[in-house]
Amino acid sequence: MSIRIQRVPSENVAGGIAARLIAILLALLVAAIVFAISGADLGKLGSHVFKSTFGSRFGLMDLGLIVTPLILTGLAVTVAMKVGAWNIGAEGQFCAGAIAATAVALFVPGPTIVVLPLMFVAGAVGGMLWILIPTLARAYADVSELITTLLLNFVGALFIYYLATGPWLDPSGLSFAATKRLPHDVPSFWGDVHWGLPIAVLLTISLAGVLNYTRWGYEVRIAGSNPAAARYAAIPFRRHLIVVMLMSGAIAGLAGMFEVIGTTHRLQGGISNNFGYIGIMVAVLARGSAIGVIAGAALMAVILKSGIALQTQGVNISTVLALTGLILFFTAIGDELSHYRIVRSKPA
Amino acid sequence: MDLLAGLIQTAILAGGVLALAALGEVLAERVGVVNLGVEGLIALGAITGIATVVAVPSPTLGLVLAMLVGLLAGMVFATATVIIRANQILCGLALTLMGTGVAAMVGKAYSGIPAPVTFAPIAIPFLSDLPLVGRALFTQNILVYVIYLVLPFALHHLLFRTRHGLDLRAVGENPAAADAAGIPVTRIRFWYVSAGAALAAGAGAYLTLAFVPSWSEGVVAGRGWIAVALVIFAGYRPWTAVGAALLFGLITSLGFVGQARNWPIAAPVLSMLPYLGTIALMIVPVLAWQKVRRLMAAPAALGEPYFRDVR
Repeated sequence: MSIRIQRVPSENVAGGIAARLIAILLALLVAAIVFAISGADLGKLGSHVFKSTFGSRFGLMDLGLIVTPLILTGLAVTVAMKVGAWNIGAEGQFCAGAIAATAVALFVPGPTIVVLPLMFVAGAVGGMLWILIPTLARAYADVSELITTLLLNFVGALFIYYLATGPWLDPSGLSFAATKRLPHDVPSFWGDVHWGLPIAVLLTISLAGVLNYTRWGYEVRIAGSNPAAARYAAIPFRRHLIVVMLMSGAIAGLAGMFEVIGTTHRLQGGISNNFGYIGIMVAVLARGSAIGVIAGAALMAVILKSGIALQTQGVNISTVLALTGLILFFTAIGDELSHYRIVRSKPA
Repeated sequence: MDLLAGLIQTAILAGGVLALAALGEVLAERVGVVNLGVEGLIALGAITGIATVVAVPSPTLGLVLAMLVGLLAGMVFATATVIIRANQILCGLALTLMGTGVAAMVGKAYSGIPAPVTFAPIAIPFLSDLPLVGRALFTQNILVYVIYLVLPFALHHLLFRTRHGLDLRAVGENPAAADAAGIPVTRIRFWYVSAGAALAAGAGAYLTLAFVPSWSEGVVAGRGWIAVALVIFAGYRPWTAVGAALLFGLITSLGFVGQARNWPIAAPVLSMLPYLGTIALMIVPVLAWQKVRRLMAAPAALGEPYFRDVR
């Protein structure tokens, strides 16, 4: 009997999940080593992280707030991947959604019960408009949506900065780079945690249902995994591409809407907090499954919240970005390695 | 006329970052590997450059060390994408996140410190006295001449006038055929991707030692992504790439000149110009000149890992 290692086209699901866990542990290990070398007290950092995440009521509430935009941006990237598109611009669509929702909050008078649904729609439409040009450019001119969506992230951040320091600046003069406190809130159900969280979870599960169990979802998945085969089967690839990319933008826009109306209550610079980029990580961890998006978002929320908490201990918040990159890197490698099988064959 | 000269001078200076990073990406993509880590590599090079000159007052040393850091990071990226053959897009994004994050962590201590020494402009005798554009074209730092003239000449010659260049283009177009012809596909990909990363990091050092010249978080500001876009726009050719970089530099310099001269447009809106301009330049040519598309096409095997045993 001989044993050899062979690469097979299909991925090993258990291997893929194991690869993710190992990637995360390896990345955390690297981070711990870096902290230890730079002279930090790991035990102290660890207990601080625990206290500010699972170890306290406020920590858990913060996690509930942070996980909401991450579920939505992760879902946005996942949905686009289903049709074979790279939406690396969730960050920009998040900004656009936040801007559109703020515009409604600032300029549409009325009771919250009326304005809230309007803000919801505005957030989705804002995100959709932000991805419209990359979508059409990809669909009709085959221009890489990866780069165009990404470049619009910078425009989105500048746009918020312009509005929050210029025309929409808080007239009370109390802040230099934010709008006034918005008059409407998404209602909360537990402390500060607002209804955005259950809505995000529900949206994720129902979209997964539509993609997995309807004819439309089936066509989208075929179009995404093999455009040529889709064309032979008379599946309208271009139409599915456009619809799904716009949906993806709308979902990321909703993330921005919830963040500004539910969490920060003001439009301010830096509001996107890299949620769009971390959303890519969530989507990659999720491997296209709805449960995966929620689990991935929860995990990244813990990492992001730990990074924020460790700022008081002199740890730079950019550590989170570097750590995310490290996890992504190890995951990509692990994914490839999970294509390999050990094959035992008896000699003939 | 002062306005025109100022515009051109800034355009050349600003375009240098893009040109150098784009030349690096041309190398990687010509051998069939998309490196989306350019943004992170520029950040790493930028912080290495400034940290070096703060310790030792030599901009040349800063550039060399930045390129070494880039080479190492490129070798890590190439190990993952060329040897292990993991997904190039994910590894590139990961490199961008890691590079940007690490540079910001290290950069905290250097934030806002102006570079104590820089690549100073050198006036070329006689030529710099030419009317109108003499000063703009011929009073630049030494790197500008290297980036706009020496490097594209060398790379063009390498790619299109040597046997080795034919080999490495073959690796990007059809690795299986190249492999059958005895060309070492993996070795060529590994080293050209790494060399391209070194150039990208060099662009970072140029940014903090010749252009800005200081470090602040967000100083890279998407230049790596613009460089990637520019390579597509330039049809993967060295001379076209530096020409395009100059055009993109011109868009950036419009924003600078506008701010300096108090045009009635808000500064953040002017800062959007490079990104919006890049998107426009990616879309318009494709729609306008359908016939050019074949000439400007990407290497056929771009982005695809090569497995000898899986066909």
